[in-house]
Amino acid sequence: MTGSGQTEKKIILYISVLLPLLLLLVSLLVGAYRINLLESLRIIWTRVFQPSAEVLQSPSANIILNIRLPRIILALLAGAAFSISGAALQSLFRNPLVNEYILGVSFGAGFGAAFSLVVLSHRFPPQLMAFGFALLAVVLVLAIAEGARNSLIAVLLTGIIVSALFQALLSAVEFIASPYALQALFFWLLGSFSQVTWPDLYWTGPTVLVGLIFLIKMSWRLNVLSLSEEEVSSMGIAVKRERILVIILTTLITSAVVSVAGIIGWVGLIVPHAVRGLVGFDNRLVLPVSAGLGAFLMLVADNLIRMFSPYEFPVGILTNLVGIPFFLYLIKKSKSSWGY
Amino acid sequence: MQARIRELQVNYDDFELKVSGLVFEAEKVSVLVGPNGAGKSTLLKALTGVLPVKPGSIFIGGRDLAFLRGAEKASLISYVPQEQALVFNHSVFDFILMGRSGFLSLFSRPSPEDYHKTEEVISYLGLEAFSRRKYTELSSGERRIVLIGRALAQDSRIIVLDEPTTFLDPKHEIQIIDLMKKLATERGKTIITSLHSLELIPRLADFLILLKEGRILASGPAREVFKTELLVELFEYPLKVAEAEGQTVLLR
Repeated sequence: MTGSGQTEKKIILYISVLLPLLLLLVSLLVGAYRINLLESLRIIWTRVFQPSAEVLQSPSANIILNIRLPRIILALLAGAAFSISGAALQSLFRNPLVNEYILGVSFGAGFGAAFSLVVLSHRFPPQLMAFGFALLAVVLVLAIAEGARNSLIAVLLTGIIVSALFQALLSAVEFIASPYALQALFFWLLGSFSQVTWPDLYWTGPTVLVGLIFLIKMSWRLNVLSLSEEEVSSMGIAVKRERILVIILTTLITSAVVSVAGIIGWVGLIVPHAVRGLVGFDNRLVLPVSAGLGAFLMLVADNLIRMFSPYEFPVGILTNLVGIPFFLYLIKKSKSSWGY
Repeated sequence: MQARIRELQVNYDDFELKVSGLVFEAEKVSVLVGPNGAGKSTLLKALTGVLPVKPGSIFIGGRDLAFLRGAEKASLISYVPQEQALVFNHSVFDFILMGRSGFLSLFSRPSPEDYHKTEEVISYLGLEAFSRRKYTELSSGERRIVLIGRALAQDSRIIVLDEPTTFLDPKHEIQIIDLMKKLATERGKTIITSLHSLELIPRLADFLILLKEGRILASGPAREVFKTELLVELFEYPLKVAEAEGQTVLLR
């Protein structure tokens, strides 16, 4: 990364890391109960350095520590995870339209988590079940679409069908769920950060962070992996093994988010697309900037919901309403690659 | 470095490629010709390990290709494919830099040395003015040179090229032909290429292999194999090799 234009791109990189952190502070103030920034920071400070202090029993402390903070962190993790996964998968599949939603990951993970909650009543960790079924979904899609002459159409169609399969399985789980469980399941599936508690983040937080680090470490290689399989393997690279690793990592972090926040689609399509418009195609920039900007935008969306929606409008519906028209627009624009 | 096909057999659908006893010498250009579907691309892909081959089939500098991996393989043999559609539009510099990836682990990024090698290749090919341009902004001829540049960044002893001049205008065709020749003579590379334009064979080939329906029809020093009767038999078309103005030419 040398030469002109690189300085601006570096600046964009730093901004995309700073933006979500700044917004985190602002977001602490958003909500019906008024708490100023200084007080919020003092509460967090106290929680970290004097965890037994009396102040932490106050309503303000409860709101900041147990309601707002976990929610903000989950929104940031979700935006980063979906966006970086989208960017990585698009390189891997040589296709800017691919995302975790299209590949069946979202509904696979959704079914896995729901199955664990309702049928196994938590005897098996929902996060693990979400990962297992998400991986199953993406493996199904790839196995069925492999070798098709028009791999784009094959992957899209297979992804839709496999998603439909897992939606059907989800409906079956909903059917047998108790009315109380059903209501929780219903809101969770629509995609929302409102119900999150700290224990939910114990798996999701570290998993997403580790996944982000590994994917960013692999970002230059992802440039190479976006060449044709022939070219990559002629360079002495074990292309199949490396592709599988990327799929496992992206599935792991998206399913970790889905198992807590429900199904929030299309973020992984929109954000990397916008980021490539800003910084070009080098994944060394696309991946970290997507993660930062994705985290920022997800938190913006959640803040807007907290400010303007009286009864917790699910963020998953919002991303669908923005993402699907955007997807249709991209398809229309890239008609030539459909192979007619 | 020498590449040798001891005994190679590749089957798919109802096509069979069966080739044995072929040697590609260092500092020489070996050219592969034959009608469409003769198995040229298949042979080249097998040579570079893109198609998996059985142990004992192909030897690169005495090493069995079936057991070559990673950086070692990258340092021995590289592959210049036919022009590829690029989904994500990288700059010429970044594209050539990717030739270094065989030497880098999954989690590492190019080192200053890799950048240095890339700059060397760019100046060797005279691409300085292009290096910041996007790959898709280039003409077909320029793209071929950039693809060769990527193989040069890989800096392997043997370079295998799949029809590097197809669809090019005469100027770029000659430019690529002369570049391949130069790489063999100046840099001591072993060049193995398939070629569509038969007219260019006398200018390029040291060694010529005629491939028909998955079998070798003839092979040997170019001037011994580039003969009217052999070419007629190969293409089932009345071609004629003649001498004009001190050059070997092909008449159709």
